[in-house]
Amino acid sequence: MQAETQGVSCAGAAIQVRDLHVAYGGTPVLHGVSLDFAPGTFTALLGSSGCGKTTLLRSLCGFVPVRSGSIVVGDRDVALLPPEKRGMAMVFQSYALWPHMTVLQNIGYGLKLRGTAKTEITAKVASLLAMLGLSGYEERKVTALSGGQRQRVALGRALAVDPGILLLDEPLSNLDAKIRMTMRHEIRAIQQRLGVTAIHVTHDREEAMTMADRLVIMQAGRIAQIGTPEEVYDRPASAFVANFMGAENVLPVHVARSADGTAVSAGAAVARLADHDATALPAGEAVAYFRDDAASLDAPDAAPQGDLLVPGRIAARSYPGGLYRYRVEAAGRQITIDDTARHEPGAAVGLRIPVRRLHIFPATEAATAA
Amino acid sequence: MSLSQRQLALLLIAPGLALVAALFLYPLLFSLASAFTDPKGGFSLQAFGKAFELYSGDILFTIVIVVSSCALTALAAIAIAGTLTLGENPWIVGTLRALYRWPLFIPFIVAAQCMRTFLAKNGLMNNSFVSLGLMEPLQAVSYLDWRGIIITFVWKQTPFVALLLAGALAALDRATLEAGRNLGASRLRVLLELALPQVMPTLLVALVLSFVTMLSVLSVPMMVAGSQPTMLTVDMAFRINAYGDYATANALGVITYLISAGAAILYLRHGMAKESAP
Repeated sequence: MQAETQGVSCAGAAIQVRDLHVAYGGTPVLHGVSLDFAPGTFTALLGSSGCGKTTLLRSLCGFVPVRSGSIVVGDRDVALLPPEKRGMAMVFQSYALWPHMTVLQNIGYGLKLRGTAKTEITAKVASLLAMLGLSGYEERKVTALSGGQRQRVALGRALAVDPGILLLDEPLSNLDAKIRMTMRHEIRAIQQRLGVTAIHVTHDREEAMTMADRLVIMQAGRIAQIGTPEEVYDRPASAFVANFMGAENVLPVHVARSADGTAVSAGAAVARLADHDATALPAGEAVAYFRDDAASLDAPDAAPQGDLLVPGRIAARSYPGGLYRYRVEAAGRQITIDDTARHEPGAAVGLRIPVRRLHIFPATEAATAA
Repeated sequence: MSLSQRQLALLLIAPGLALVAALFLYPLLFSLASAFTDPKGGFSLQAFGKAFELYSGDILFTIVIVVSSCALTALAAIAIAGTLTLGENPWIVGTLRALYRWPLFIPFIVAAQCMRTFLAKNGLMNNSFVSLGLMEPLQAVSYLDWRGIIITFVWKQTPFVALLLAGALAALDRATLEAGRNLGASRLRVLLELALPQVMPTLLVALVLSFVTMLSVLSVPMMVAGSQPTMLTVDMAFRINAYGDYATANALGVITYLISAGAAILYLRHGMAKESAP
């Protein structure tokens, strides 16, 4: 494999974004984003539709004008340069291949623009195609390729110019599920092999977690949290991040601190916490977020054993495979729980939620979560 | 009696078909036949002989005028549509968008009349140049000749071609253009190497339609240019009005038809070459 990457080398570049403001017409979209990208890292910009992640990517590569702020690549500010002078290569959601050109012409176009000799272009494209598993496809029309092959060609076209920075704008969202999985690993492996700095925009949480070294969660034009996938998943910084990262069950709780320790209560259910677990918790009215798999179902009168045991009733049951998914009415809310045991709808149950797996935020903050 | 589906369909299109037959097919076939008929009513190429003898210069003149007008129209339309699609200055793009379609709504005869006053020796254009100090009054020349015809045709047909071309460019996946910029192409290269090849069929259709239109305009060569050399439409009108010589006029008509068929064949061959490409 090493031999196949000969002639393809992309030393990653560092990017510093400082206080970036971007607006469409009069509507502000990015409100002072500051962010560093270390050379050779893979960062995923993650967020729901309209959060500004694509705008951030497009302003990095120059397709969206910047109102104020700086984008420093290496040691020069590129914020006011036109797209062709920024040295970033982008892979588009729609592939954006040129239908009137062959695979060779598509991948070699960036090199042609740089005045590279024809023989050199042919050699480089051949080595890229070998790396992408498309050897011998040079003379094919891109319209005769499948979705996965097109996306590989698009990736090859971006990598051909040895970019320091690779921008990926939801490159996998048009592919079917199986090819998407394969491409995730391929893109990640190629990025690591070449050492290019990659910035990947996606709204797919799992895709971001499996591909990136670091996640940047965006909310309404601002950065909500930056961290490794583990940090963001296990220790969300806000109710929005917790909710976005899949902790979609919401339970109003009350956190009380006393001489005996800290107690988290939901209605009549109470769980006590050791002090070192409780220091970060807000006191008073709060909202707890937890994932479907964090809780389990038990008998309503089972012993809590340190967990919150909230009484509830099963409203619906489905079988997505491997386990049952229940919709449980508890504490006045609809809560989704995955459990391996089969229970009948209408049955009274106890929701057993380990307190450690709750993400608890003050009630005031929770109101602003998506 | 009940009509079958087929009979009903025929009945439905019958009025339209009759209209086409009476107003288009019959006169066309009649004039075709007349071009190949001698005064005694027998088959003859006499009319064509006369047409070539008297008007071979005008045939060449017509082809040169129409081909060069098409080429210049293409250039102007590409410049306008390219600016509309890839322009970054909103003021220029907005102004151009508001202005470029106007000539579409002006009939050829009005355009020709405007050009007479604009391009004449003491016309608006030369007067403006003189008053701007760009030209001495003695240097002023009239453009009311072959150049005037080309200028009028280009002015009149550019909006039509630009309109179709801008529509096709706007329908392109914007990302294919951004991908070019992203890899380092200037806007001009993006237009010429990435955008235009994708909309070439539209450009060719617009140019073939313009070619046929220019070939059939009578008013512009008649009003803008002098009598010699002139375009085939003027010659046809002259043969009929001055001599009642329908046979030669019809022969010139057939020649005009063959010229426009040539343009259509070029277009079709391009389309087929594209289809058969791997």
